[in-house]
Amino acid sequence: MKRIETRLREEARRLLETGEVEVVLAYGRGYDDRHPMPCAAKTVADAERIVFNEYCTHNMARYLLDYPPGTRIAIAVKGCDSRAVVVLLQEEKVRREDLVILGIPAVGMKDPRTGRIIDASTTCGTTNPVLYDILLGEKAAEPDTSPYDVLEELEGMDGADRWAFWERELSRCIRCYACRQACPMCYCDPCFVDQAEPRWADKSPSLESNLMFHLTRFYHLAGRCVDCGECSRACPMEIPLYLFHKKVARECEEMFGQAAGMSVDDKPVMLDFRVEDADEILL
Amino acid sequence: MVAERNEEKHTVGFEPRILGIACNWCTYTGADLAGTTRVQYPHNIRVARVMCSSRINPSFIFRAFELGADGILVGGCHPGDCHYSTGNYYARRKLAVTKKILEFAGLEPERFRVEWISASEGNRYAEIVREFTEEIRALGPQTRLAMGRDTEG
Repeated sequence: MKRIETRLREEARRLLETGEVEVVLAYGRGYDDRHPMPCAAKTVADAERIVFNEYCTHNMARYLLDYPPGTRIAIAVKGCDSRAVVVLLQEEKVRREDLVILGIPAVGMKDPRTGRIIDASTTCGTTNPVLYDILLGEKAAEPDTSPYDVLEELEGMDGADRWAFWERELSRCIRCYACRQACPMCYCDPCFVDQAEPRWADKSPSLESNLMFHLTRFYHLAGRCVDCGECSRACPMEIPLYLFHKKVARECEEMFGQAAGMSVDDKPVMLDFRVEDADEILL
Repeated sequence: MVAERNEEKHTVGFEPRILGIACNWCTYTGADLAGTTRVQYPHNIRVARVMCSSRINPSFIFRAFELGADGILVGGCHPGDCHYSTGNYYARRKLAVTKKILEFAGLEPERFRVEWISASEGNRYAEIVREFTEEIRALGPQTRLAMGRDTEG
């Protein structure tokens, strides 16, 4: 981790010094080591503040769209973050030539809240960046467990129990929209839930309006969610949203044969179709 | 609370409220044909017309269940016959994902059905509506996604 931090700082300094990029999206010091913050370094002095440790879980792809098109941006990405960048490239939200991607093979990242290691059994099914210009550190072994193993319990339940589970979880939502704000894929302006006309869901939290918000959001992320788990880590109520996103991702992968953000040449599955898609998927 | 209130709804004399969403060019015309040829089918279905099955925003489906629909039947052109060439291919993917989401949330998957019904299949339209209505009747009122308001039709 320390070596990655040093290299990340070096690369940031070099890129800013040479003027190759205008901004470096990485991690900066928070109020303690356990709470690093997203950091946009614009000067060499800023670059000195860059840190990287096991708590740097933020998906910096979230901030790519905050800059006007044409801004040259360097971005530090871990495995799933790079997939988010790939999805943004697929959706033509950013241009490849504007980006310098600093890849970080991430093993042993920890959840700042619980201190537990994040691995394929929760989120983070990808260790190595799928797309990068400069790789900081050595490639690590990909996890040998499926990212979908964690779904076993929920998938095994019958409908009534699963409903009871989601009713319990989603009724706790306070509609702070932290999940949406943390999500690299949630860039709609305005978000459907903020629209006044049509008003899809009530603004105040209630089970019904929460369901409307979350179910629609699960749908909007179908075939796009890169399983970074930021929504669930951002959630102040600790709702395990990642479980639902994982399920949708699994269904999309099984039905359409493609996981989100694995290759720039893929087309997002919901913007595409195949004539030979089976009608059975509707059953 | 909401669930309890819904649970209390007596299932005796339960008439399912079914939302039909039909594409203008095939299923809606098929439904018209069923009407003009005087084929009888249950009146439990309320049909909304859209220009294409791919016009259906999955939020329509979530919202309708929330507003108390007991079942939703979506009709579109047969794959390959779309008036806009490819609309129903997109719809097929969208609605398949919608169905998986409803199922994972815990709704009975039988409550949401997609059928390809062409303009000439008036009899088949009536047959499907009959079958679907009976299926929903057997399932009883949809109480999971429905909000607490009185949903008696």
